[in-house]
Parts: sequence; structure tokens; C-alpha cells
Amino acid sequence: MEKREIREVLKKALNSGADFAELFWEQKEIVMVNCEENRIERINSGFDEGVGIRVMAGENTSYAFTNDLSFTRLLEVAETAGKGAQKKQDLLEIKDFYTPPSPLKLEIKKPPQEIEIEKKVQTVLEVNDAARQVDQRIRQVTVNYGDVRQKVTIANSDGVFVEDLRTRTRLSVHTVAAEGNLIQTGYHSLGGSQGFELLEENDPTQIAEIASQRAILMLSAKPAPSGKMPVVLAGKAGGTMVHEACGHGLEADLVQKGLSVYAGKKGQEVASPLITVVDDGLLSGKFGTTCYDDEGTPCEKNILIKQGVLENYMYDLRTAKQEGGKSTGNGRRESYQSRPLPRMRNTYIAPGKTDPEKIIKETKEGLLVTAMGGGQVNTLNGDYVFEVAEAYVIKDGEAIYPVRGATLTGNGPETLRLVELVGKDLGFTIGICGKEGQGVPVSDAQPTMAVRELVVGGTGGEFISEDKKIRRL
Amino acid sequence: MKKGKGEKNSMEDIASQVLDLAKKKGVENAEVFLLDSRELTIEIAGQEVENLKLAEEKGLGLRVISQHRLGYAYSSDLSEQALRKTIERAVDNARLVAEDVAWEVAEPGSRYRHLDLDDQEIRQKSLEDKISLAKELEKAALAFDSRVRQVEKSVYQDSSYCVSLYNTRGLKGNYQGAYCGLYGVVIGQEGEDAQTGFSMDFSLKYKELNPVRVGQEAGKKAVRMLGAQAMPSAKLPVVLDPYVMTGILGVLQTAFSGEAVLKGTSFLVGKEGQKVASSLVKIIDHGALEGRLGSSPFDSEGISTRETVLVKEGELQGFLHNLYTARKTGVVSTGNAVRASYKATPEVGTTNFYLEKGNISRQELLRGIRQGLYVTEVMGLHMANPISGDFSLGASGLLIENGELTRPIKGVAIAGNLQDLLMGIDAVADDLTFYVGSGAPTVRIQGLAISGK
Repeated sequence: MEKREIREVLKKALNSGADFAELFWEQKEIVMVNCEENRIERINSGFDEGVGIRVMAGENTSYAFTNDLSFTRLLEVAETAGKGAQKKQDLLEIKDFYTPPSPLKLEIKKPPQEIEIEKKVQTVLEVNDAARQVDQRIRQVTVNYGDVRQKVTIANSDGVFVEDLRTRTRLSVHTVAAEGNLIQTGYHSLGGSQGFELLEENDPTQIAEIASQRAILMLSAKPAPSGKMPVVLAGKAGGTMVHEACGHGLEADLVQKGLSVYAGKKGQEVASPLITVVDDGLLSGKFGTTCYDDEGTPCEKNILIKQGVLENYMYDLRTAKQEGGKSTGNGRRESYQSRPLPRMRNTYIAPGKTDPEKIIKETKEGLLVTAMGGGQVNTLNGDYVFEVAEAYVIKDGEAIYPVRGATLTGNGPETLRLVELVGKDLGFTIGICGKEGQGVPVSDAQPTMAVRELVVGGTGGEFISEDKKIRRL
Repeated sequence: MKKGKGEKNSMEDIASQVLDLAKKKGVENAEVFLLDSRELTIEIAGQEVENLKLAEEKGLGLRVISQHRLGYAYSSDLSEQALRKTIERAVDNARLVAEDVAWEVAEPGSRYRHLDLDDQEIRQKSLEDKISLAKELEKAALAFDSRVRQVEKSVYQDSSYCVSLYNTRGLKGNYQGAYCGLYGVVIGQEGEDAQTGFSMDFSLKYKELNPVRVGQEAGKKAVRMLGAQAMPSAKLPVVLDPYVMTGILGVLQTAFSGEAVLKGTSFLVGKEGQKVASSLVKIIDHGALEGRLGSSPFDSEGISTRETVLVKEGELQGFLHNLYTARKTGVVSTGNAVRASYKATPEVGTTNFYLEKGNISRQELLRGIRQGLYVTEVMGLHMANPISGDFSLGASGLLIENGELTRPIKGVAIAGNLQDLLMGIDAVADDLTFYVGSGAPTVRIQGLAISGK
């Protein structure tokens, strides 16, 4: 597609009367390698290409996509989209195209497309071996490798014209350990906006070892206690909590619809003064990093909460326009098939001053969480529940024994008010955030933090005394 | 774009071209899956269209089997050049995958059953007509109660599609289908307290959609949770409403997959013929059920769909299979090869997966509970461990006192094990409700640990 044709398509989209038209053209190549049962089970390669056209008129948005890329078909699709959002008004002129500069230049040292599939397969097999070598009780190992090359061209009626190439590589390891009747699982992953160098600069077999060690540790873990208690969230547990229980509530679409506990609270104290929350699209090589967002806005570093005070929300073009402000570069989408939404990139609680060891030492009694699992949050009131993948009971300042099956139940804003100590460390985890069914790669992080009290749910409380785990194998 | 015969032929042309080329590359067998789909989504806010989405997607997924190795590749670009590249990639990938004699493509069987899947009204009704359904939903929700503050989402959605499947053993399959649906998310507010309510209705028939019912139900769910409080920890009878039980079935479904059994990741491994649930429990997967959204004449590998009883009177009868897991296990495919899209390989999945209804009403089921919890919403279901069966959920719902639903409860956790939960079912109501491809009636469980304040 040439610039001239893109202009024609945008013009067609505005033809029924609208404030804004945008074209998002994506070409995505993927490779996935899967190893299970000690052998390469699947290799999948794919190519997907399509165009999404968005038209906005007042409060209305219309979105159409197709993977028939003939010029005539695109004009038809643009016309349909335009009719869907129409507004009676003078026809808008499309401004001259320009490309805003991005503060970031991503250097992909080893584009995965140039690495032979044999090499990827070999890495996966090495990781599989490493996971199995940790302990005889490791029964199952699943290794997944994936790389993506996504080329996007974004153009809109305001004149923005951006081309961006994104490369991501990731590796994840799931393990299952068994002893007698007991089965436990472990997980660890590595990923970044990097090429194959990610797996050369980091030792991928270490990922395997951590996943296996976690499953083995959980075999000897006791059932988690339940009830209200002080909780220390270790830095290495990553930022699931800040992403889920705080981040989503700071996305401007939810805020503007009144669906966030943080709505209308700019300038107010919403967390302990020890808490600074940042969403940064520019962290070099991190999983959520891109030069531009999916609306062609250059990415930047966005401070959301500064020393407990709500500074800013995360905006895309639409939500920014609504308040007469500027997009913060948070407009993201899964693919040409989805309209952009305000989304997180790399979200973290900024490190504090306390030595993480000291935080544990100062806890008389409570739970130390060293790995988080999945979670779910209600952004309307901030209530959340998180699964804990690895935790220890703390007694007199020491982690005395591992526990399993714990969940954390609480409220996001309340939890951030109850933070009493913030460590000077910072631990990242990666993930795919699934807001509105659209998966986008993100990373999140936090320092070690002491929370005065959280509700810990477990099966080891007073109501189920016996350890009733599954009997198998 | 023109539909009908011309389109179908061009799909068949593409498929036979790809199969011929693949054979020339020396593969023994190949299979082409083609999907051509259109989708419409309308979101209403304040009686105006807030978002409109039109989607059209077409693509091809190719599996090749060469020396007992399976290779996969897909492409949305159906030009000859792109297809050649796709074939090369599939063949290339097959080289490095482990050898396994169980890989095969389906043999052409008897004629496929005709199912009424393609309601022409869904394709023909005007956009205005569909918009008015979503508007009615919004209106009904707002009118339900003065405490309904806002309708967060009022949505109409439909999809029409054409699936084609061809393989080198001469299998040719083709069908068209369509479905439509409505869903609403409603916010109730009283003072500082805000609660959400959700309702949905999906159908194969446009005529069956009832926006007023969906709007009212979402409104009711939002309002009844206002003023919810925590409750003290206790071990009490728990009643799961159809939506929650369907969610739990969703976690259970992986345990019924023949693939999970082969990998030892199902807690049901080796338990055929054994009691895995209370004798009131019958669990079925039925891919040829008239009028249901999970139905199709054949599965993603071309095997005719059918009814598979998985649990009968609490006893495990068997598992779900595609061709590969069936051959590995020494049984026949149950017609449960499922693809999420042309980008995905056919995995073992469910079609219409449900817990069969019982023969008492919901009222009767609640009767006799002195104190219990009626659960209407759970959080963290996807975190339940399908391997061990352990779960710990955030739950909210209504307190049951002397057989009556009395006041809203929130912020409690229920923990346990899926197997114990199935065993503990002591009543199943007759109100089987489907949510797209799965469904369940209201069930009662004797004694679950509830951790509260």
C-alpha cells in the first residue's frame, strides 16, 4: 500500500462526516516451538496480515477490519466504517502526513527471523533437559518458545504517519512435580522486546531451574494459613498486584466511565506516601516496550501516582481528546482486529530505600509471598483476589517454612494505603494482559513491600484440618 | 463481496491447489482448513451507538504429515505466493518435530448430518433492527430499578461463517452457520456502594433474542448486591447458580480431555468406571445438539459430531478425543477436535458441554437449608488448578436463611478441591441454562469452607 492509497482510504472513511479516521495496517509473522513429554511436539509458523479502519464522530466509534487488502475492498470497508459513525458536518480535510519522533530506538541484535528453526529447537530442548535435571520428582516439563515480528503502519486524518517494527521473544517453562499422592506445579518465564539475543544474554536454563525448584519446594510446603495477617510481597514476586489492583483503575477509559475507584481523584492522596507508581513504555528491552503505541503516539514515561498522590491517568487518543489533553502513548491493541484502548506497558512501583532483608526481619508474624500466580480484579471497587504460587510463613522475622494454596483477597487502594515499608529492589515479571479480550504484552514490577494486613485464603485454616490433596500417579 | 456457489468453488480450488503442492513436496498426507467469517458488534450507550464493529476474516491452516511427523503453518494471505510459503513452512516445521505414528488425517466417512445452523434472519436483518435490540436492553435495565445508575455495556453481537475442510484422503466438508446474542453489564449504586450485574443471551435464532429479559436480569443482579457485607467464616451448604456452576464446568472440561489424560495432567486419569461425582451428576458433551451454539456437522478434522456421556450417575464413562488422542488411547475419536481459528491446530475441546438437569425446582433445592450461601459470582476461577483440582475463589452472593435468600454477601473466599465439590453435590435443579457452548443447572453442595471476616 502506498501513502497515496492510504490517504484515499482515509478520505473515504471521512466521507459520511466524522471527526477522525485512522488506518492500522499490520503484518505479523510468528514462530512457536512447544516441547512436552521430553520431545518437540509442535512447531507452528504463521503469517497474518490485515487492515483495521477506525472512524470517530463525537462519542461514537466505528471499527471495521478485513484481511482482503485489495485497494477496492479497502475503500468499501472504509466507507462502511464511515457510515457506522457518521455525523452531519462539513467534511474534514486530511492533514499532510508527518512522523512524530520517538525518544526510543530499539536495537534488535539478532532478529529471530534470521535464526534457523534448528537453533530455536535446540534451545528449547536444552531448557527441557535443565528442568528435568533439577530433581527426580519432576514428572512433567513444558517449554514454550515464541517469537513475533510485527510490522505496523499507522496513519490518521490528523496527519500522523508512523511505521514501527516490533520484535518480541519469549520463553516459558511449566513444571509438574510429584511425590506420593502430591502434585505441585512451578512456572517461570523470560521475555522482552528483543531478538534472539534475549536467550544468549540471559541463561535460559536458569528459567528452567527456577520453575523446577518452585514445584519441588511446594511438594514439601504446608497448607497456607487463612485469615487476616501482615504480608510481605517480595520484589521477585513481580508486579501482578500493581498491574491488576491499581493499574487498571488508572486507565482513562474506565476512569471516564466512572468505573474506577480512582475516578475524580487527580491530586488526591490515594496511597501511602511511600508509593510511586509508574507506567513506562520506554524501558529498554522490556516486554511492554515499543517506540510508538498502536495509534502512532511516541511512547513515554508516565508517572501515575507520586508519593501517594494521584498524578495522572493513562490515555489513548480518544480519552485524551475527551479531556482536551494529550495521549500518554498508552493506546494499544492486540492486532488489526481490535480498536485501541488505554493499556499498560511496563508498570511498576518505584523502589524505596529499605533493605529487602530488613523488611522480612521486621515482620513478627505473617506471610512472605515470593511468587504470584494469576489474579482477578473488580476495577469498580478495587476488590481483588490473587493466587500465590510460592510463599513462606514468617515468624519472628524469619521465613520458617514454605506454604501452598494461598490466595490474597483485598482491595487495591486500601492495600496501597497499608504499605508500611518499601524495599530498594525491583523485580519484573512478564505477561499478556487480557483487557476486553485483547491480549497485549506487558511487564510489571515492584520492590519488596510490607503490607500491614491482607486477607489470606488457604486450605490450611481451622476449617479443613486434613491435607486433602489429589492422589495420582 | 459475492457469496454462494462461486465463493465455495474458489475455496475448493485453493484447497486442492495447496494439497497438490504439498504432495509434490513429498508429504504423505495433508489437510487444509479454511475459515471465512464476518462479525458485527454494536455497543449502545445513552440510546446511541457508541461503538460499532464490523469484521471480516479469512484464512487457511495447513497440516502436513511427513514420515510420521506433523508440521503446521497458517496464512491470512491466500495469494499463490503466500500459499507456497505456507506449504514450505509447514514442511520445514515437520522435519524437526518428534516422530509419532498416531498422526493422521480423517478418512472420508458417511454423509454428514444436516443441522439447522444458518438462520437467514441473522444475515438479513437490517443494522437498524439490530441496534434497536441493544437499545431495548439498555432501556429495560435502567427501568428495572431506580438504583440502576448506569448501563456499562449494552451489546448486540452476531457472527456468520463458512468452514471448509479438505484432505489428501479425499475428505471434503463444508458448512455455513450463524449466531447472535445480547449481553448487558449494569451498575447499581446506593450511597457509596456500587455493584455490577451481568446477563447474556446467545442464540442460533434471531427471533429468540429477548432484550428486555437480558436487561432486567442484569439490572436485578446489580441491585440485589447493594449493601453486601462479609460474613463470618464457617462451613456451610453452598448453592451455585447456573452461571457459577457453568464456570466451574469450564475448569473441569480440561480434565475430560483425552490429551490431558495422555499427559497425566487430568485428575481423572485412570478412573473410568469409578465414582468421581455424586450419583446425581451426569455430564455430557454433545456436538450435534439442535439449536445450540456449540453444534456443527463435523469437527475440525472432519469427524462427525456426536453425543458423549462423560459422567453418568457419578461414574466416569470416558474422555473426549480428537483423532490423535483417540489413536494414542486405542479408542475412536469422539468428534472433539476444536480449532479456535485458522491460526490454531485442532486440539481436544468441547462442543456443547453441560451438566444435565435434575428434577427438582430451585425453590425445592433451597428449601431445607437453615443457613447457607447462594453464590452468584466468583473471582479467580481461571486460577483453579486443573491438575490438582484445588481452588480458592473470591465469592459473592446471597445468604440463605431457612430456605430463603435474605441478604447480599461479598468478600468471602471459598476453597476446596474440584473433586470434593463434585462428590459433595446433593441436589441438582431443573433450570439448566446455557452460556454459549456450556451450561449447568443450579446445584447444592453439602459443606464448603467459607472464609470471611
